[in-house]
Amino acid sequence: MSFAKPQATLRSVTGIPTGRLAIWWVLASEVVIFGGLLGSYLMHRIGHPEWADAAVHTNVWIGAFNTFVLLTSSFTAVLAHQAAETGDGKKAAKLLMLTIGGALTFLIVKSAEWTMEISHGYTITANTFWSFYYTAAGLHAMHVIAGAIIMGFVAFDAYRGRELQRVELIGIYWHFVDVVWIFLFPLLYIAK
Amino acid sequence: MADTAVAVPHGHHPAHEHHGPQGIWKYLWSTDHKMIAMQYMFTGMFMAVIGGFMAYVFRMQLAFPGVSVPGFGQVSPGEYNALITNHGSIMIFWVAMPVLIAAFGNYVIPLMIGADDMVFPRINRLSYQIFLLSVLVLLASFFVPGGGFGGAWTAYPPLSAVGEYNQTNLGSTLWLIAVILEFVAFLLGGINFITTLMNSRAPGMRAYDIPFVCWMIVIASILFMLSVGPLVAGAIMLLFDQTIGTGFYDPARGGDPILWQHLFWFFGHPEVYVVLLPAIGITVDIIATFARKKLFGYKLMLYTVIATGVLSFFVWAHHQFIAGIDPRMAHIFTVTTLLISVPIAELVFLIIATLYGGSITLSTPMLWALAFVAEFIIGGVTGIFLGASGADIYLHDTYFVLAHFHYTFFPIAIIGTFAGFTYWFPKMFGKMMDDTLGKIHFWGTVIPFNLIFIPLFVLGMGGQHRRIYNYEHFPELAGQGMYQLRQVATISLLVMLAFQLVFFYNCIKSWRSGPKAPKNPWLANTLEWTAESPPPHGNWPPDRMPKVYRGPYEYAHPDVAEDYWPQDQPA
Amino acid sequence: MADNHEHGDSHHVDYKKIYFTLLVLLIVSVVGPFFGVLWLTLLTAFGIAVVKANLVIQNFMHLRWEKRLMKWLLGASLLLMALFVAGVAPDVMNHEGDNWENLAAKAATERGIDGEVEGATVEGEPGEGVADAEQGEFSAQAAFNSVCAACHGQSGSGDGPAGAALDPAPADFNDPEFWAERDEQRIVTVIRDGAVAVGGSPLMVAWRGTYSEEQIQALAEYVMTFRPAGD
Repeated sequence: MSFAKPQATLRSVTGIPTGRLAIWWVLASEVVIFGGLLGSYLMHRIGHPEWADAAVHTNVWIGAFNTFVLLTSSFTAVLAHQAAETGDGKKAAKLLMLTIGGALTFLIVKSAEWTMEISHGYTITANTFWSFYYTAAGLHAMHVIAGAIIMGFVAFDAYRGRELQRVELIGIYWHFVDVVWIFLFPLLYIAK
Repeated sequence: MADTAVAVPHGHHPAHEHHGPQGIWKYLWSTDHKMIAMQYMFTGMFMAVIGGFMAYVFRMQLAFPGVSVPGFGQVSPGEYNALITNHGSIMIFWVAMPVLIAAFGNYVIPLMIGADDMVFPRINRLSYQIFLLSVLVLLASFFVPGGGFGGAWTAYPPLSAVGEYNQTNLGSTLWLIAVILEFVAFLLGGINFITTLMNSRAPGMRAYDIPFVCWMIVIASILFMLSVGPLVAGAIMLLFDQTIGTGFYDPARGGDPILWQHLFWFFGHPEVYVVLLPAIGITVDIIATFARKKLFGYKLMLYTVIATGVLSFFVWAHHQFIAGIDPRMAHIFTVTTLLISVPIAELVFLIIATLYGGSITLSTPMLWALAFVAEFIIGGVTGIFLGASGADIYLHDTYFVLAHFHYTFFPIAIIGTFAGFTYWFPKMFGKMMDDTLGKIHFWGTVIPFNLIFIPLFVLGMGGQHRRIYNYEHFPELAGQGMYQLRQVATISLLVMLAFQLVFFYNCIKSWRSGPKAPKNPWLANTLEWTAESPPPHGNWPPDRMPKVYRGPYEYAHPDVAEDYWPQDQPA
Repeated sequence: MADNHEHGDSHHVDYKKIYFTLLVLLIVSVVGPFFGVLWLTLLTAFGIAVVKANLVIQNFMHLRWEKRLMKWLLGASLLLMALFVAGVAPDVMNHEGDNWENLAAKAATERGIDGEVEGATVEGEPGEGVADAEQGEFSAQAAFNSVCAACHGQSGSGDGPAGAALDPAPADFNDPEFWAERDEQRIVTVIRDGAVAVGGSPLMVAWRGTYSEEQIQALAEYVMTFRPAGD
C-alpha cells in the first residue's frame, strides 16, 4: 500500500517547513511534561533536606560519563544534519547510526548503574528521593529509546537518499533529549 | 515509516486522484481526515450513551434511594462511586474532547482552509487508534474484580492511590492508564491541527480570513498541549503509587497529596477552556450564517479568546480554596478567577452585537447556537459566586458547584455538539436532516435540561454536598422540599433522555431517506460548502483546489447581489 | 531538494568548537562540588546547565535562526513551568504552620533516610508498619484515635463523624451485645483482612497493608479495652 502525501503536507504558509513546525510543538509539550516532573522534584527536594542522605549514593562519575555520551551523540546528530543539507544521505545515515550507538551506550551504562543501585537496596520504593530519581531518569530513558528507534527509521530512509529533511527533525528531537539530561545531571548527581 | 512508494525525492507529488483503502479496510487503514473524524464522532457518541446511562442510574438512586434501578439493579455505595467517577471522566475525556475537537476539528479544518487532508494523515490515524485503545481500557475497567474506579474523576490521593481505600484496585489502575492513553492521543492529534492550520491554508487565506471555529479548535489544542504536561507527570507518579508502592503523594513518606491537586488542576482548569473554545467557535460560525451578518469584531473576538486562554493558566487553584492551600494564594486566585469572566462577558456582547440587526433564521442549528449562549451565561455567572474564595467556603463540594459546571459543560458538550452536528450533517452525509424533528429534539432537550439543574442549584445552596450516594442518612438534607427537588431533577432527566431517541431516529431516517443535500444548503461563505456533499477523498479535484479572496463572513455585502459572498469566488 | 532550509548560508557554525566547549563546561560542573562551597556548587551545576542547554538549543537545534514564533513558543512553555512552580511551591514546600509543628517531618530529618520504612501502601503485602515519629514505638491508642476513631469514635461507641452516614453503622465496642460472640482473635482478623473476611460489610476495610502483624495485635488489644467489664 503506497502512501502519497497530501498537498496539505507540502504547503508552508508560515515559511517553516511543516515537519519542523510540528517538532517544535512536540518539544513545547515535552517541556511542560518534564517541567512538571522536575518542578515537582525540585520543590520536594528543597523541602526535604534529609534526602541528602539518599542522594549522596548517586554516582557522579557514571552520570558525567553519560552526559559526555549524550553530548557526543548530539554532536554526531548535528553533523548528520549538516551532511543531509548537502544531500549526502549515506554520510547522514552513518552519523545517525553513530548517534544511535551513543543512545545504546547511554542505555547500557544506565542499566548497569541501576542494577548496581538496586543491589545496594536503593529501589524505587526505598525512599521518595529514589522514587523521583528512577521516575525522572526512567521517563527520560523512554524518550531515548523512542528517539533511537525513530532515528533508525530515518537513517534507513536517508541511506537511500529519501526524506532527508527528516534527519534535521529527528536531530532536533534528539537535542531536546540531550537538554533534558543536561538538567537531570546536576539535579540528580551534582547538587545533591 | 519508510515510504514504500517509488523513491521520489521529497517535493514531487504526482497529480493523480489517489484512492484510499476500500471496503472493510477503510475503517482500519484509512488516513482520510473525514473518516477519522467520523470514527471519533461515533466513538464519542457511543461513550455519551454510556455516560448518560450512568447518569440515569445514579440519579435514580438519588431520587429513589435503595430502590432497584430498572436496567441496572440495586446501587451499592461502591457502585455509586464508580458511576459518578466514570460519568464525569467519560463525559469530559471521551465525549467532549473527541467530539468537539477531534471529530469536528478533523472534519472541518482541512475543508475550511481549503486543504485536501491534515498534514500528517498517518499520525492522525495513529491518534485515533490510541484513542480507541483508551476507550477499550476504560471499558475493561468496568469488568475487572472491584469494578470501575470509584475515586471521583479528580482522583485525589490517598483515596486514588491506595486500593484498600477506594476498593477498586484494578479499576483505578486501568482508569489511569486509559486517561494517559487519551492524553497521548490528543497530543498527537493536536500537533496535526496546529500545524495544518498554520501551514496548509489555501493560497490567499490570511490569518484573519480563517473561519472562527478553526481558530478556536487550534487554540484549544495549544492550550491542551501546554497544560497537560504536569498532569502526565503526575499521572505517572500516581500510577507508581498505585501499583508499585512509591510514596509520591504519601505524607508519611515525604510526599504530598496537595501536589496531585495542583498537578491535576493546573491542567484541569485550562481543560475546561479546551472544550469551551470549539463550542464557541461552532456557535459563532452558525450565528454568522443564520443571521446573514458579518461577525461583529472578528479580531476583537479572537484576541479576547486568546486572552481568556492565557488567563486560564492563572486560575487553577480556585478548585482548591478549602483544600488547605496557602490563603495568600487564595487571594490571588480569586482575583484572577473573577478577571477571567470579563473576556467571556465581552465575547457574549460581541455575539449579541453580531445578532443585532441581522436577518435571523431560526433553523435547528441556530436554535442550538442561541441556546448555547443563553445557557452558558447562566453557567458563567454562577461561576462568579464560586470564584470568590469566601463564598466558596460554603459552596465548595456542594451541588451548587455541580449545577454550575453542568450549566457550562452541558452547553459545551451537548448543545455545542448538536449545533455543529445539525449544521454540518448535510455536508457529512449528503442528506438534509428533518427540521421539524430537529426542533422537537431541541426543545425536548433544553427545557428538561434546565429543570434538572436549577433544582440542583437550590439543593446546593441548601447545603447538599456532592458524592453522597444516599441523602436519607443526613436528616437535614432528607426533609421536605429537598427530596422533591431531587425527584424533579431525576424525572426531568428521564424526559430529556427520552427525547434523545428523536435525535437518533432523525439521524437514521435522514441518512437513509432524507432529501439529497446540495453543496451549500445554508448559503454560507466558508470553503467546506464548495465541496461536494459529502466530499470525496482529497476534498476537491487536486488541480482545482480552492483559492481565497476574502474573509469568511462577507454576508449582505453591498457590492454583491446575493446576501452571501463565498470565500473562493474571485472578485 | 534535499531539504527546505530557508536560511541557506546564514548559519555557519563551527559545531566542533561548540562540542568542545560543552565538554569543558561538563568538566567544570563535575569539579565544582569538590570545592565544598555551596553557592559555587549551585552555580557550576545549574548555571552551567543553563549555559550548556542554551548552546545546544541555539546552535545544534538552530533556534538562533528559527522564526521568532518558535522562540516565543518555547519561552511560553518555560514561563508556564515557572508559573506552575510559583503557584505550587507555597503549598508543597510549606512544612510548618503558624500554629502547628510538623513533628513527623522533623523526626524524619533527624533520622535521615535510613530510618524511613517502606511498603506502607502496597496492596496485599504485609506492611512493615507505620513508624512513630517521636518514639520509634507504635502506640495503638494514638493510631486508633487518629485513624479508627473517625468511624468508631474515640470512645469506641461507633459514633465517629465519618461513621454517621454508614450503613451498617460502625461497631459499638461499648455494647455488650457486640461482644456476645466475638473475641480478640476475631478482632484481629477483621482489622487485618476487613470485615468481609468474616462475612461482614466491606465498609470495614482491610488494614494489613498499613499495619504489621504486631501493630494489628496491639490495636486489637486496645479495642478489647472498650469491652464492658463483667462480660
